[in-house]
Amino acid sequence: MTERQTHFARFYGNFAAGFQSESRIKGVAQPFNINSDDTLLVEQCRLGRSAAMERLVLKYQDRIYNVILKICANPDDAAELCQEAFVKVLENIDKFEARSSFYTWLFRIAVNLTLNHCQRSARLQTRSLDASDDAHTENARQMLQDFLSDDSSPDPAAVAQNKELGRIALRALMKLDDVHRTVIVLRDIEGMNYAQIARVLGIELGTVKSRLSRARDNLKDMMENLCNEVESKNRRAAQ
Amino acid sequence: MKLNPKIDELLNSFTDGELTTRQQTEVHRLAAHDPQVRQRLKFLQKCKLLLGSLPCAQAPSTMAEDVVAALERKTLLGRLPSPMEQKIGARHLFIRKVLSVAAIIVLVAVLSAVVYVIVTPRRTPQPPNTITARTTPPAVEPIESAPTVVAAGFTGRLELKTSSFIEVDASINRAVADNDLLNCISLSREPDRSEYVLACTPKGLDELLSDLEAIWHNLDSATLSVQTEEFGRPVVVDAVTAPQVLEIASQNTAEKSVEVAKDLAVLNNLAEVLPGKEVLAAASAKTSDFAVTSRIPKPVLTGWPKTIKTSPRRVETKGNVNLVITVLTGR
Repeated sequence: MTERQTHFARFYGNFAAGFQSESRIKGVAQPFNINSDDTLLVEQCRLGRSAAMERLVLKYQDRIYNVILKICANPDDAAELCQEAFVKVLENIDKFEARSSFYTWLFRIAVNLTLNHCQRSARLQTRSLDASDDAHTENARQMLQDFLSDDSSPDPAAVAQNKELGRIALRALMKLDDVHRTVIVLRDIEGMNYAQIARVLGIELGTVKSRLSRARDNLKDMMENLCNEVESKNRRAAQ
Repeated sequence: MKLNPKIDELLNSFTDGELTTRQQTEVHRLAAHDPQVRQRLKFLQKCKLLLGSLPCAQAPSTMAEDVVAALERKTLLGRLPSPMEQKIGARHLFIRKVLSVAAIIVLVAVLSAVVYVIVTPRRTPQPPNTITARTTPPAVEPIESAPTVVAAGFTGRLELKTSSFIEVDASINRAVADNDLLNCISLSREPDRSEYVLACTPKGLDELLSDLEAIWHNLDSATLSVQTEEFGRPVVVDAVTAPQVLEIASQNTAEKSVEVAKDLAVLNNLAEVLPGKEVLAAASAKTSDFAVTSRIPKPVLTGWPKTIKTSPRRVETKGNVNLVITVLTGR
């Protein structure tokens, strides 16, 4: 990271990092507070200020990359798509009419690029993010089964520190189709509200609700399938 | 057993905090009475917690640099105008256009000035002129600005006013006939006006004027107008005598005729003003010599080497005398 990037990351990254780490502790992804200086940065970008462009990139790059990665499941593709999204945004910054927030506009472009990429690419597989060995997978499946069957309220901090559990949850997420995975990522990982999701995906609010409901229903099925695999395996081992 | 989709949407919205207070109360009521709803709610909350706790991946550290580099690369490849320079570039383009137009205007102005200098006639600079009196008359030095005589030769009009109209007119007729100038003259006659249009040689004019000299004492006035090239500006010699008319008309060139006419005009005017009529008498006694020797000095231009230019339009008038003699009654 260059000195200038470090400088801006200090101003804009610290707030985001602090907020996100707080969310991690609580275990709940919350809507990210959009800084009021987006409008100023956009205006400066329109004037051709390269420093403002860098600030915008530094401000949103991690969140955009995270969302893209969770949708396309490939780090290399995610980095490429992230870069492409920023280039496209900066190229068309003059066309941004501020009818929605810059945050929504940026995510709309990034998500559309990613979904188009997913439709084109045959390489989209869940293997990319769940390439752990079978032993870890089995262990994780067991943890997931325990987590779902436990009637007591789970501790968010404990869940956040449980990497195996997260990995199996991610594996289940990757088994969803692109549309359902996207809506879950935007809601539960990025923390958008329904209205923002509707604007990003360009769909009606009712569609968001129904799509989210079906996506979580499918996710539940995926998780239960993973747990069932563990149960049947244990049963076979007992016999 | 699956829940009603509407109820499932309601539970999802409840989990995401998208419900109103009234709807939340409704969900609480449903959950209190239906274990399936309760179970679904618990799953949704765990699912949300689980996904929300997933680690946040960080973008490559060179992302900003890569984006800027990609933009620059696209700009270099000419695929798009650089967004960094779109506004600045537009401003620069506008300034360049304005400067180009200004440069073109200046260039056209300079070229126009050059063409104007080349095309328009050059005026040679003249130093300041001083007027001095020349004691000796210049030897027929044509002045550049002097009017030149018309190309047809000496052309003039002699206007004779007399109270003895019939006598004078008869004398002229007789003189014309005696000198065999009937072929050279055309006559138009009115009750109080006779006009003789004479086109002859200086010799013929000399003979005619010699015969007419006797009638001069019957004239109230005699005025000779010598035509110049300048339209409407003839040289007028008042109180002209017959020898003076002959002298003016018999010059070698029309230009000389004009010069002599000017001199005699000044002389006659002066003679009329001065008392005693000495000058007039002297002029009458020997006009030619007097006219040459006692010519009144004229103001001449000095201070710059006078270049004597011969006008290409100057025409020898020897042998061409066009004189209109008009006799008017003096009443």
